[in-house]
Amino acid sequence: MGELGLIHQLLVTIGGHEFVINIDVVIMSWIVFTILLIFGYLSARKKDIFPGPVQALGELFVKSLYSLTEDALDKEMAKTYAPLITALFLFLVCSNWIGMIPHMHEPTKDLNTPLSLGILGFVLANYAGIKEKGIKEYLKEYLEPIFFMMPLNVIGELAKIVSISFRLFGNIMGGSIIILVVSYLTWSLVLPPFLNMFFVIFVGAIQAFVFTMLTVVYISVQVK
Amino acid sequence: MEYDINFWLKIAAVSSGGICMGLGAMGAAIGEGYTAAMANEAISRNPNNSGEIFKSMLVGQAIAESASIFALVVAMILLFTNFEATSFVMVWALLGAGLAMGFGAIGSGVGSGFPAGAACLGMSRQPAMGNKLTTNMLIGSAVCQTPSIFSLVIAFILLFTNFDLRPLWPNWAAVFGAGLAAGLSAIGSGIGGGIVAKENCEGISRSPESAGTATNIMLLGQAITQTPAILGLLVAFILIFRVYPETELISPAFALLGSGLCIGIGAIGPGIGEGIASSGGVKWISRNLKHTGDITRLMLVGMAVAESTAIYALVIALVLIFVV
Repeated sequence: MGELGLIHQLLVTIGGHEFVINIDVVIMSWIVFTILLIFGYLSARKKDIFPGPVQALGELFVKSLYSLTEDALDKEMAKTYAPLITALFLFLVCSNWIGMIPHMHEPTKDLNTPLSLGILGFVLANYAGIKEKGIKEYLKEYLEPIFFMMPLNVIGELAKIVSISFRLFGNIMGGSIIILVVSYLTWSLVLPPFLNMFFVIFVGAIQAFVFTMLTVVYISVQVK
Repeated sequence: MEYDINFWLKIAAVSSGGICMGLGAMGAAIGEGYTAAMANEAISRNPNNSGEIFKSMLVGQAIAESASIFALVVAMILLFTNFEATSFVMVWALLGAGLAMGFGAIGSGVGSGFPAGAACLGMSRQPAMGNKLTTNMLIGSAVCQTPSIFSLVIAFILLFTNFDLRPLWPNWAAVFGAGLAAGLSAIGSGIGGGIVAKENCEGISRSPESAGTATNIMLLGQAITQTPAILGLLVAFILIFRVYPETELISPAFALLGSGLCIGIGAIGPGIGEGIASSGGVKWISRNLKHTGDITRLMLVGMAVAESTAIYALVIALVLIFVV
């Protein structure tokens, strides 16, 4: 139980400022990057009209996420945004599933990862909105329905970042707490594999998909 | 008998454990009852498929029960752990943890009974879609559990954080308010998410070809329905992790308590309302697949408007924390 809430931190002092680095998160994120790079390399190494198993899996991911993006945005814009959406989903799914292996921690269990990805999506959506509609139309939307609603509209917009990142963080964190506590209470007998199946594989995949889908929708709401 | 801190810690732990399990038992039972009623109706409509309907009823009830099991785990920990502390803030943190998990389990328990019931009914209407309906029921119920998982996170943080260095005033109100914020705000989102998933299961049984699109829209709707619960979670985190200086005044403490109540109660309505808004979208997409784009856009706008009252509650809660 002592593990609960324990974070390995590295304090670095650069020019009088103290920076805190969460070592676990950084190392685990790099492991996820490596896994994804290897997967990408293997799936694109021998391109064939009869795909091998790895290529088929890669094509499955790319095709379904492309079509998801095309449904929400249109065909032209999907070409710009779909690669990012695909990468986002693969990163999230891989990070959520890595917690299944003992002594590995999900990078998404630390609020910093979901929050930075949420800010990424927010900036991207607003950039797409400004680019598509022009700055004047974009700013005018904040004054609707009446001008003094502006602060609430801005807070509503910022609440999107909070909601998208805390949703992922809360689910993954909650799942790992439940697994830890139940494993402790039952001396790791019988229950933990089922809990891992539900909270890590099932909920992890759903939450990765929800995060990706919401990013697409935030972009599409700004654009249209 | 000595009335020292250990005495009060024990009192808080046992009463909080009782409150936690008592409240937590409420929601799941309602949800499971609804599922069983729908399964009865389904079997009387289509007796030939009774085996599959019975199976899916049991699976659905098991998932609806998990919110209650979270409450059971927290209650067990409250009852059988020896809490040690030197500050009376911990007494209030224990009470807050029990309330957070107890209230938090209500919404998810009620909510995840809805998709299970609709899936049973769908199987009687469209036996060929049995597998698809079971999958969707599992996805919908799993996402319904999210608000109760949020309350669980807050309950555990309250139980296992060391509050010894914090002065009693106003920090007792901060930890107690955090529990109320996380617990109460989870009620609405849990029920709302269930309503969305219910319409999705019903829609699939009516028009199987819409399954893929409707499921995506359901996940989207459920995710946005959770926003009020997430705002409650945010306020709870701010209340727990911000350090408040010691004060002689009474008003700061009650401002913190009030901010927890404000976002907690304020999030119940928007959660249910957004669920209803989104359930309309999901329902009509399965009947009118061609106009998915228009329906989704209207659904999102409607949900954003329904959410605005939760944003008002958030603004007032933040003002209470940072200004008063």
